[in-house]
Amino acid sequence: MSSRVLVVGERRAGAIADTSLEVLDTAHRLAGDGGVAGFVAGADGEPAAASFARFGVPLVYWARELSAEDSAAGRIAPTVAAVADSIGAEVVLAGGTTFGRDLVGYLAIRWNAAVATGVTDVQRDANGLHARRPIFGGRATETRRLEGWHVALALRPHAFPRPPEAPVPGRVETVAPVEPSAGWREAKCLGVEATPTGSGPSLGDATIVVSGGRGLQAPENFHLVEELAASLGAAVGASRAVTDAGWRPGSFQVGQTGKAVSPQLYIAVGISGAIQHIVGMVSSRVIVAINSDASAPIFKVADYGIVGDLFQIVPALTAEIRKVRGT
Amino acid sequence: MEIVVCLKPVPEAETRLRVAPDGTRLDPEGVKYVLAGYDESAVEQALLLKEATAGARVHAYSYGPAPRTEEVLRAAIALGCDAATWVEAGAASDDPIAAARALGSAIGAGPYDLVLCGKQAGDDEAGLVAAALADVLGVPEFGYAVNVRWDAGRARLTLGRVTESGLESWETPLPCVVGLQQAWNDPRTAKLPAILKSRKATIGRVAAAEAAETGRTTPEGFALPPPRIGARMIEYKTPQEAAEKLVRLLREEAKVFP
Ligand SMILES: Cc1cc2nc3c(=O)[nH]c(=O)nc-3n(C[C@H](O)[C@H](O)[C@H](O)COP(=O)(O)OP(=O)(O)OC[C@H]3O[C@@H](n4cnc5c(N)ncnc54)[C@H](O)[C@@H]3O)c2cc1C
Ligand SMILES: Nc1ncnc2c1ncn2[C@@H]1O[C@H](COP(=O)(O)O)[C@@H](O)[C@H]1O
Repeated sequence: MSSRVLVVGERRAGAIADTSLEVLDTAHRLAGDGGVAGFVAGADGEPAAASFARFGVPLVYWARELSAEDSAAGRIAPTVAAVADSIGAEVVLAGGTTFGRDLVGYLAIRWNAAVATGVTDVQRDANGLHARRPIFGGRATETRRLEGWHVALALRPHAFPRPPEAPVPGRVETVAPVEPSAGWREAKCLGVEATPTGSGPSLGDATIVVSGGRGLQAPENFHLVEELAASLGAAVGASRAVTDAGWRPGSFQVGQTGKAVSPQLYIAVGISGAIQHIVGMVSSRVIVAINSDASAPIFKVADYGIVGDLFQIVPALTAEIRKVRGT
Repeated sequence: MEIVVCLKPVPEAETRLRVAPDGTRLDPEGVKYVLAGYDESAVEQALLLKEATAGARVHAYSYGPAPRTEEVLRAAIALGCDAATWVEAGAASDDPIAAARALGSAIGAGPYDLVLCGKQAGDDEAGLVAAALADVLGVPEFGYAVNVRWDAGRARLTLGRVTESGLESWETPLPCVVGLQQAWNDPRTAKLPAILKSRKATIGRVAAAEAAETGRTTPEGFALPPPRIGARMIEYKTPQEAAEKLVRLLREEAKVFP
């Protein structure tokens, strides 16, 4: 069975987001010989469109005139739906970022699609498509059957591999935008302030996250966590004890009322492992905990544990990682 | 200003998850449903806006089966919401898009200026309803929002959006939908007299609009991951030895970096 698949790309710092490239494997698998096409919006979207083409998308539609200086999926959704219709696509795929999740929400209505977010696996059988996704903060997974002519999925970041570059790059073609609804014309994005993650990646994008908790005892010790993160090229996170105390801004918080992350590696430093923290990180692939209390609940969800004083362990770990990785 | 908050009853955080006998969903037996996480934030945000805006009212809506919807709506009234409407749903109410369509037609039938949702529900974590609901209503949606304020003089709502790139600042006229990701350290709690009074409050009731023919999802499997067996504890004599052992395991066994 085959179907035509439209992949929607997202720009990040002038290039294409990794999370957009991660959908390509699934796109080709679902498309069979139905074919994959790409979509990118925004005046500065050309490099992103070109990367899609380089990574094996034969034809990328670039909506140059669409204002996409921001992540407003609602502005872009009408054009995505129109392009999907014009090429007869049955499936739209996007990365499960803030933009991608919003986008499929709009496509559910605008394009009458069966939709799912945070998807970690998609299978096709005679009954159609079935999507698996973690729920309850990773404490369970559900499978849903997607019913209808159209399906739009936001795939969970870092759950799928990035494909290699293709031998022959695809083409980029411009496409005319469709006007968004009236309300969007007066809504204005006044600017973006980059998240203060130091020089590292953002929590949502990162493949490694190092988080610090109250065990660090004072804000002036938090640099221990930041140095460990820097040695790994990781994003920095924190427990709510840390953000509540104002050691770091709320944007660092991981957990039920913060950000949910699912990196390849999560290192919890001086974090006890309250359920509200656990639900935000338990679906990480590998979890490491460093805590002086052997009975801390964080060790129940960790894969590797070190019981000890973080003030001794963390600097040693940072030094060891710098040594083996030459960072 | 007419502020709407959308509230989904979800199992309380401490719920022990069990698979229902048919294998397709959470076993609801003995589960206590509460107003959770981001929806609590949405109520707090609605009440803060109401307090800062003369003549504002807050109307809570919940879609789903009774009695859990009624319980969260009464909790919202006890916290200070002015009105509550139950959007009645049949058994198949667990599709977020069905919720968005039903809520959209109920909310659209009444007055509304600002609709507040949580960023995502604590159970299905779909993060879909705010955007879908906005498209049903034909108004813009701002998800992952923090610091929502109403500038009455300029008739603009200002807010931040937390995205992968950073914090975006937005301003927009009303009406619109906002999906909140703000967490308050100390959202208000209801006082006993208000709780008692909320038991007698009138809850409006509307039947859900008929669901669309296409574009639905049906749960067909619910699984619990095998319990993590607990951490492999690293034995060591010096911090250096602990670091070396951990890094070796991460490279050779877990293969998280080369
Ligand atoms: C509605 C609600 C929502 C919440 N949402 C969140 C959320 O999103 N995210 C979140 O994180 N929390 C959340 N919380 C708070 C949560 O319940 C915990 O209070 C919080 O996670 C605790 O943070 P912590 O682990 O840093 O601090 P603590 O629980 O105080 O743990 C500190 C740990 O550090 C260890 N330690 C101390 N000294 C050292 C040392 N020298 N070396 C090594 N280890 C040391 C201790 O053994 C202890 O285990 C929420 C709570 C509520 C009620
Ligand atoms: N059944 C429902 N009734 C009322 N509001 C809902 C319902 N489902 C979802 N919502 C709202 O939409 C938000 C996001 O839910 P979801 O898209 O399911 O993750 C929730 O935090 C609620 O504010």
